[in-house]
Parts: sequence; C-alpha cells; structure tokens
Amino acid sequence: MTIEISIRNVCMEFPGADGVKHVLDNISYDVQEHHFVSIVGPSGVGKTTLLRLLTGLMPPTSGEIHVSGQRISGPPKGLAVVLQDYTRSLMPWLTVEKNIALTLRKQKLGRANMRERIESSLEEVGLAGTGKSYPWQLSGGMQQRASIARALATRPDILVMDEPFASVDAQTRFDLEDLVLKVRDDFGITTVMVTHDIDEAVYLSDEIVVLHGKPAQVRDVVTVDIPFPRSQMATRNNPHFAELRTHVYAMVRGLE
Amino acid sequence: MRMWRWLLAIVIGAWLPLLLVWWWWTASAESTNPFFPPLELIWTRFQELWLFAEWPTHVLPSLRNLAFGYAIGVVVGVGGGALLGSSRTASRYVEPVVDFLRSIPPVATVPVFIIFFGLDASMRIAAIAVAATFPILISTIQGVRATDPTLLATASVFRLSPSQTLWRVRLPAAMPIVFSGLQVGLQIAFVVTIASEYLGSGFGIGAFTLIAADSFLILDAWTGVLLMGLLGYAIATAFDIVERISLRWYFGQKKLA
Repeated sequence: MTIEISIRNVCMEFPGADGVKHVLDNISYDVQEHHFVSIVGPSGVGKTTLLRLLTGLMPPTSGEIHVSGQRISGPPKGLAVVLQDYTRSLMPWLTVEKNIALTLRKQKLGRANMRERIESSLEEVGLAGTGKSYPWQLSGGMQQRASIARALATRPDILVMDEPFASVDAQTRFDLEDLVLKVRDDFGITTVMVTHDIDEAVYLSDEIVVLHGKPAQVRDVVTVDIPFPRSQMATRNNPHFAELRTHVYAMVRGLE
Repeated sequence: MRMWRWLLAIVIGAWLPLLLVWWWWTASAESTNPFFPPLELIWTRFQELWLFAEWPTHVLPSLRNLAFGYAIGVVVGVGGGALLGSSRTASRYVEPVVDFLRSIPPVATVPVFIIFFGLDASMRIAAIAVAATFPILISTIQGVRATDPTLLATASVFRLSPSQTLWRVRLPAAMPIVFSGLQVGLQIAFVVTIASEYLGSGFGIGAFTLIAADSFLILDAWTGVLLMGLLGYAIATAFDIVERISLRWYFGQKKLA
C-alpha cells in the first residue's frame, strides 16, 4: 500500500485575545491510498482545523503535510472537497452544470470533453438531467449530490469531506453514505471525512482517527475490519459493528 | 390567475396617483393664478412640447449625458470596488481619499468641472460619472468584502486563480449589494444630469425648465417639471426590471427560503 497523505508532527496554534490557543498537538498520521478515513472527536476538538490544514487552506504552525509525496504549501492538485454547508459552497448564481464547469476551468478540457465530464459526473451521483437547475431549486440531499458531482468531475485522487451529511435528513443520509462508498470504488479515490456521527464513521471507514484533548492529540486509530461491500442493513446489524462503535464512542467521550 | 394578480397589483398601485391627478385637475381648473395654471393647460402644452417635438433638442441630450456618465460610473465603481474590496492593502491606501471625495455633495462639484472641461457636454458627463461612481464603488467594496468564507474556501480548494475568484466568485456573490449601489448611483446621476444643465447650457430638460421659469413661461416650466418626474419614474422602473432579471437567482432563492 502506498501512502497518499502523510501528516507529520503537525501542531496548530491560533493567536487569540487571551494568549495563544493551542489546538492541535503533534498530530501524525498516514492515509493509505484508496482508504476511507474518518476523523472523529468531541465538538470543538479541532477536526475541522485539521481538515483545513489537509486541504492547504492554511499552513500548520509546525510540522509537515505531504500529499502524493509532495509537501503542500497551498491547496494541492488532485484534491476535491465536499463541505457540510452546501447552500454556501455551491454558487447560487450558477446552475448545477455551470457550478461544475467553474471548477473544471483549470483543466482546459475543450467543449465536448467538458460536457461529457459534467454529464457523467451528474449521472454517477444520480442527478442526470438536473444540470440546468439552480442549486437552490433542489432538495438538500440533491444539493449535496451536486457538490459530490462537482468534486468528482475534477477526477480527484483525494476527496475531503467536512461533515458532508450533517444537514440532510436520516433517510437521505443513508443514501448519500452508500453513494460515497460507490464513488470510492468506481474511481479508487482516497477519502478523508470529518464527522461527529460515530455510526457513520464506522459504517464508511477503513480506519477511524479519534482526536481527543485540549490541545488535541491522536488518541486512537481504529481499524474497521468489516468487509466491503457494506450494506445499511447487514453491516449495521453486525455484532462487530456494535463493538466498534461502542469502542469509538468511549474514546470520543474520553471514557477509555 | 397570474394575470388577475397582476391587474390587481396595478389597481392597488395606481388608485392614489390617479386620485391625486384628478384632484389637481379639478382644483386647478378655475385657477387664474399665473403661477399655478390649470393642469389642463399644462397638459396641452406638454403634448405640444414633449410628444415628441422637443425631444431632439432637449430630452435626448440629457438622456445621452446620463447614459454616458452613468456607464462610466458603473465601470469605474464596479471595477474599482472589486479591486479595492479584495485587497486590504489597496483599500487601506485609497479609502481615506474615497471617503473624503464622496463627502462632497455631487451637485457642488459642477463648477469645478466647468473649470476643467468648459461648458460643453463633456463637463456634464464627467460630473454625472463622478457622482454616480461613489455609491457604486462603496457598495461594491462592501459586497466583495462580505463574500461568504465558505465560497472562498471552495474556490481556493478547487484552485481558482485570484482573478477567477474575484470575477467569478466574489463579484457575482456581491451583486445583490452592488445593485443597491447601482440604484442610488442612478438616482444621483439623474439629479446631476438636470443640475449640470442649470449652468451654461441652452439644451436639456434642466436648462429648458430653468430658462422657462426665468422668462416667466410658467406653463413651459411646469411641463418641464412634469417631464422630469415621468422620466425619473420610467428610469427607476427600467432599473427595477434589469435588477429583477440580473438577480433572478437571488430573488428565487429568497422566495424559497
């Protein structure tokens, strides 16, 4: 297995009114290629901060992050994001297909290829034929599908998701979970997701990174040894699923 | 159904203006006061002058000045505002000057422009442009600065270049705020269009009205005032339509929210 993302001794501090706020303390972790990794932890622990470092939106105070063997100093090539707040991440003045086209401008695809890329991405997420709609005309679940399609259209090696299903209803959440697993298989994408939903983390992941403490440290890395393909009914009824979620829950709450 | 609602809206909006016109018409019908002639006479004179005999001499020059001046104001205001709004350093240098210049009442600048440009149309266009620029500039700076950080993070991760981020994300996102500046700018531009004709001009609606009043052609002066009101109203309505069309996404989104 090759390492896709390498986080090495990363510390993060924010200057604040009452002194320096130390958020992440010496985080080290490697994400294997094609793996699905979830980052969990109590709210406010610094999950999203770690994600912003991974996506190159800000540099760590110390330590290094390597993506595909390259040390990053800004948003790396071949990385796409899906954020929780789809209403503020899709551009409301552009139709769904123009939203996708905007992120493809860098790739200089040519008209026909661009069309094909947009349409196949929409099809992949079950949104074929909605390209001409504006995001706000779609339901929450469909908007999140649209942002997944936008991410896929760039043909990323890495997909980073920040609480992607936190704002959709439970039924839709199950559908979208299965969608991201399908997408991972279809494209062989390495996926890193921040979530506060432990069941979701266990259901989707190969590995779960538990952050805990102030400043946050990697408290545990849990390998989810439940075979793929997973299914909402069978996997969630697996006794081992229950064991793992209990373990992760205890870790997150600092009970173990 | 939609048609009926439309008609209803027109009836609701129109009853008061109609009532006022009727009241003006009847109250002034017997008037012998030379300063307040009967509306009927004003209307007759209005038709002689403004439907559309005097358009080439007086209306079209005013509208042309307004169009050129406002267009310059829009380009400078939106372009400059986009750049200043997205660069903290640039705005720190320029903002004090902008704040000072915009504090000068627009109409008061006309005499200064006469010094630079003389008394021809270029002076009027420059004064209109400067007056229109500031509200547009200020609202564009504010709008661009207020871009949602989530949109910016998205643009950044998808590796849009700084200029793509500015013109394709920040500026479109700012459009609802920019449009409020465009509206104020248009109102001020119209005021300056008329006021700039009060000095050294024989042509234009403002010049016509002022000269008529000075020459005791009271009826003509009244038609000029009436015409300015109607033109102002027509311009504002046209602006509303353009805004509705350009910001369809914004109003559509608000209606659903």
